[in-house]
Amino acid sequence: MRVSSTITFGKLLIAPAVLILSIHSAIAEDQTVNRMIASQCAQCHGTNGYARGSYPDLGGDEAKDLADHLYDMKGEDRPSGIMDHQALGYTDDQIRRIAQYYSTLPENGGD
Amino acid sequence: MPLTRRNFIQMVPASAAALTLTGGAKAAEPIHHVTVLGGGFAGCTVAKYLRMWSDGEIAVTLIEPNSNHVSCIMSNLILNKRLKTTDLTFEYNDLQVKYGVEVIHDRALRIRGPQKQLRLKEAGWVSYDSLVVATGIQFDKIPGQDFRKVPHAWIAGGQSNNLRNKINRMPDTGTFVMTVPKAPYRCPPGPYERACIVADILGRRSGYLDGSSSVAPRVIVLDANPGIMAEKGTFTSAFNDLYGDIIEYIPNAQVESVDSDNLIVNTSQGSFAGDVLNVIPTHGAQNILRVSGLTGDSRWADVDPVTYASTNTLFQDVYVIGDAQGTGQPKSGHMANAQAKICADSIIRTAHGLSSYTEERLQNITTNSACFSPITYDQASWLTAVYSYNPDTGSMGLVPGSLGEAHNWSSRNFNDMFTWSDNLFADTFK
Ligand SMILES: Cc1cc2nc3c(=O)[nH]c(=O)nc-3n(C[C@H](O)[C@H](O)[C@H](O)COP(=O)(O)OP(=O)(O)OC[C@H]3O[C@@H](n4cnc5c(N)ncnc54)[C@H](O)[C@@H]3O)c2cc1C
Repeated sequence: MRVSSTITFGKLLIAPAVLILSIHSAIAEDQTVNRMIASQCAQCHGTNGYARGSYPDLGGDEAKDLADHLYDMKGEDRPSGIMDHQALGYTDDQIRRIAQYYSTLPENGGD
Repeated sequence: MPLTRRNFIQMVPASAAALTLTGGAKAAEPIHHVTVLGGGFAGCTVAKYLRMWSDGEIAVTLIEPNSNHVSCIMSNLILNKRLKTTDLTFEYNDLQVKYGVEVIHDRALRIRGPQKQLRLKEAGWVSYDSLVVATGIQFDKIPGQDFRKVPHAWIAGGQSNNLRNKINRMPDTGTFVMTVPKAPYRCPPGPYERACIVADILGRRSGYLDGSSSVAPRVIVLDANPGIMAEKGTFTSAFNDLYGDIIEYIPNAQVESVDSDNLIVNTSQGSFAGDVLNVIPTHGAQNILRVSGLTGDSRWADVDPVTYASTNTLFQDVYVIGDAQGTGQPKSGHMANAQAKICADSIIRTAHGLSSYTEERLQNITTNSACFSPITYDQASWLTAVYSYNPDTGSMGLVPGSLGEAHNWSSRNFNDMFTWSDNLFADTFK
């Protein structure tokens, strides 16, 4: 469950501090940090996770599905694809943050 | 009329200024103004993300001398005519209309850090609040090199067409001589990829690769470095096996001078003559960084990778991203885009009086790179890596295991290359 708090600085989109009440963490998490890590996927998966062509969209994915997918790739015995190597570049917590952030975005990229 | 910061902002077209990214509500009064120098991969990404992430609260002016940008990424495919320069040309319309970036076509000549002023060729001295320098590279002058006769084709556009035309006109079994600049240089696998593409063009045109002719063309690769600098496995096998009779690879060859009329390059490993000469000079950050004092003793600007702010304390609120910065991360467009997002996030924080150095943020600063390299007419390989910030060293380090290269070149990779570049281009320019 995700509860938007009223702790904001600047305008809403700048830093809507969001409380993540989940098994992973119960403390306020800086959504701009999650947005910053997640934006590193956009070179291939499109701005706000809205990809062109055959690469998968990330926006609107269930957080658990996307995170599990990345954990699986990270766990490959013999990494071979680009994404196997990319997944190895992130800590488990970073993967959770990336997945959590994309789950808050609309499926259509929002623009 | 000299441009001041105020009329910079006023020059934003009214329609664009009123646009927001969240469905047309009126844009907020800007709380801060950012001037970006250079409309390439780094500059366009930072301009777009500053506008998008600040929800219009930060006004952005982009200064770029050219009316559009021709991408270097994929530009080796101009040589074998898979692409034309128009396929790789990006306009600034989307940045202006969709994101409300003000675009001014002018060239920046000098930065005065202590005064927070900038000199433009047409507009003269103007002041800035924050300045992002994303001006790419500049070549060292090599005695005798005339770029019309001996192109570099390492900044895409007319130079790419020039080299393509020269390859087109050279004898099928002639000699192509190219040089690889001293590292660090733009696009580590790029020169080796180019050698493969030219070997493929000439090998097929002469009939050598399909066995209909027994006379091999020659591609001589003169590398200033002690060995292949990227995708070593892939290029070693392409040079030795696939193009074994065509490509001759010579390491430790420092270019000393060029005879542009007789097409001879003189190096520390001897002189080489070719029917076509492609000399890519060693390069560094653009002159504006060097004359302004942003590069110090180095060729590149030293920055803090938490913010991309210059470490030179005379330059408050000046950031350097893309190929021009000197963090040691690979000089790629994918990486330039990645750095731009870290920088945009930091500038937005600063504008709101927030620190970029929170524990949470420091632990989550990452960038990544990917390069696809065409090896034949319809097959490609790739290279990828993730970098993360190390608070102990204050630098970006390669994350173990994340560095990978394709096990072999394939047509699937070739197709993926177009999907990848399409997404990267859109995330940067659209
Ligand atoms: C053949 C080749 C293949 C490549 N392949 C890949 C690849 O597969 N993947 C990858 O990620 N990268 C690749 N690259 C590298 C990539 O193109 C560069 O790393 C990238 O363009 C760097 O971005 P940048 O914004 O720093 O510079 P640029 O994209 O070069 O942009 C700099 C901009 O600044 C402008 N400018 C210059 N001087 C001034 C001034 N004084 N005032 C104002 N504006 C100025 C220029 O006109 C230009 O528009 C390749 C490069 C080459 C040459």
